[in-house]
Order: sequence, then structure tokens, then C-alpha cells
Amino acid sequence: MATKSVLNESKQIDRAVALINLGARLQVLESETDLSYERLLRLYKEVAGRSPSKGQLPFSTDWFLTWQPNIHASLFLNTYEYLGKVTALDDIDAIMKAFKLYSEQIASCGVEPLLSITRAWRLVKFVDNNMLTMTRCSKCGGHFVTEPYENARHYVCGLCDPPARAGKSALAGGIMLH
Amino acid sequence: MTNEQILSEIREANLTYLMLAQNLIRSDRPEALFRLGMSEESADLISNLSPAQILKIASGNMLLCRFRVDDDIVWNLLTNHTTRKVDNDATTRLHASILMAGRFAETM
Repeated sequence: MATKSVLNESKQIDRAVALINLGARLQVLESETDLSYERLLRLYKEVAGRSPSKGQLPFSTDWFLTWQPNIHASLFLNTYEYLGKVTALDDIDAIMKAFKLYSEQIASCGVEPLLSITRAWRLVKFVDNNMLTMTRCSKCGGHFVTEPYENARHYVCGLCDPPARAGKSALAGGIMLH
Repeated sequence: MTNEQILSEIREANLTYLMLAQNLIRSDRPEALFRLGMSEESADLISNLSPAQILKIASGNMLLCRFRVDDDIVWNLLTNHTTRKVDNDATTRLHASILMAGRFAETM
């Protein structure tokens, strides 16, 4: 940045704090704010009271295409795109708001949230880079996260036509079929 | 229900709706647009209403908030009135949420 604005910096810190409180990884903060790595690290320790998790972020698009995560991801992405269409927001602010709304909806259904803020952010990046997209289900008309080359004419979503072993998870808080 | 009762109940519902909408819009606009399912223009109008205006608008013989679910698929999912492969209540509601969140067309 050419000129250092105190006001802008305070906004960046607010945003970083909000992200840390949502449980974002350090990589998300680095990408979405102009603050230096050292400052972010200090901020993270101060806000979260512990050091940030180390290691790489999950980099595969496959996770979003498996049955249960796909439903979570689709709910989030629909909400995110809704916000983007009705109002002008910075991407990261829209992600945070959509994540909040997603968490609310999931909680009201009594299902364990599968998507973390880092995953949600990652999903938006994948979609921005055309590695994932949304395809309209030919049965219910809902939009679901799919690979970009999914055949839209024959696509049926995982809720209209669940795969054979879906919904059999013994874990509490999963999505059940019956 | 007498006619008088009907009018007063409509007034009550309108008041509650307008005040809730105003609160939501003032506390977080983008979130409110999603929750209320309305356009930015309508949100601007509502947030600028004075209490006196709200009172005046609320007392009519028509309800001001409209039904949001206008198709059978979503309605059946919400009420779980289907004989489909999935009949878990939470899952069908999740399905309905996905469909409803995808409907921004009518807010524009």
C-alpha cells in the first residue's frame, strides 16, 4: 500500500479478529487482510489464546463432492450467492455473513456443522477459479456444488437421489435419510 | 372471528412485521435482506419509516408480508408431505433451505 491509513488498518484488524473468532486458519487471514504475518500471529494468540494450527490447508475439491459435505457446502454457497446478488459486500464479509447464516440454519435442523469457515472460504476460492461450480438439479431445481463439467441436463442432486450408502452414518448429528 | 377482530389481528401482524423488519435492517442490512427476502429498495423504504408512518401503514385490511414459499416442491419439503426417498424431517428441511436460499430471483 502506498499510503498507510490508520482507519483502514483498524478495519483490517476488526476483520481479522472476526475471522479468528469464527475459527479461521492463519492462511485465510493472510489472504484476506493486508496485515503482516507477524502481526497476524500476535493477534491470533491474543484473540484465540493459543497458537494457530500449523500445516497446509486442505486443497482438494473432492471433499465438497462427497454426499454429506456436498449438502452443507451447497447450503452455504447458495446463501453466499444470495448475499452477493442482493447487496454489494466485500467477498470476505459475504463469506462471514453467509457462514453465520449457514451455521444458524444447520443448528435449527439439529445437524452437526461440517463446514468450517476455512472450508467455506476455500470453497468460494474454488468456485472463483472454476474448479467447482453450481449445477441445477433436474428434479428439485435447487443449485448444488458440482464439478464444472457436470452434465446439467441429467444432473440429480444428492437429496433427490441419495447414493446407496448415504445417511447410514452412526455418528450423531449427521444427515439422516429416515 | 368478527370483522373487527380480523382487522385488529391484521394490524397487529403488520405492526410486528414492520417493526421486526426495521430492527433487522438497522442491525445488519445484508443479513436482513436474506432473512426477509426483500430487495434493497424495499429495505431502504422500510428502514426510513417513522413510528407514525408504521402505524398508519399497518392499519389496513391487507397483510403487508407475503408468502415466501410459492412452489410445491419447497412446500412439500417443509411440511414433509412427500413419499420420497428421504423422509427425515431435518434432512428435508435442509433440502428446503437450500432451495429457498437459491431463490433470489423474486427479490429483484
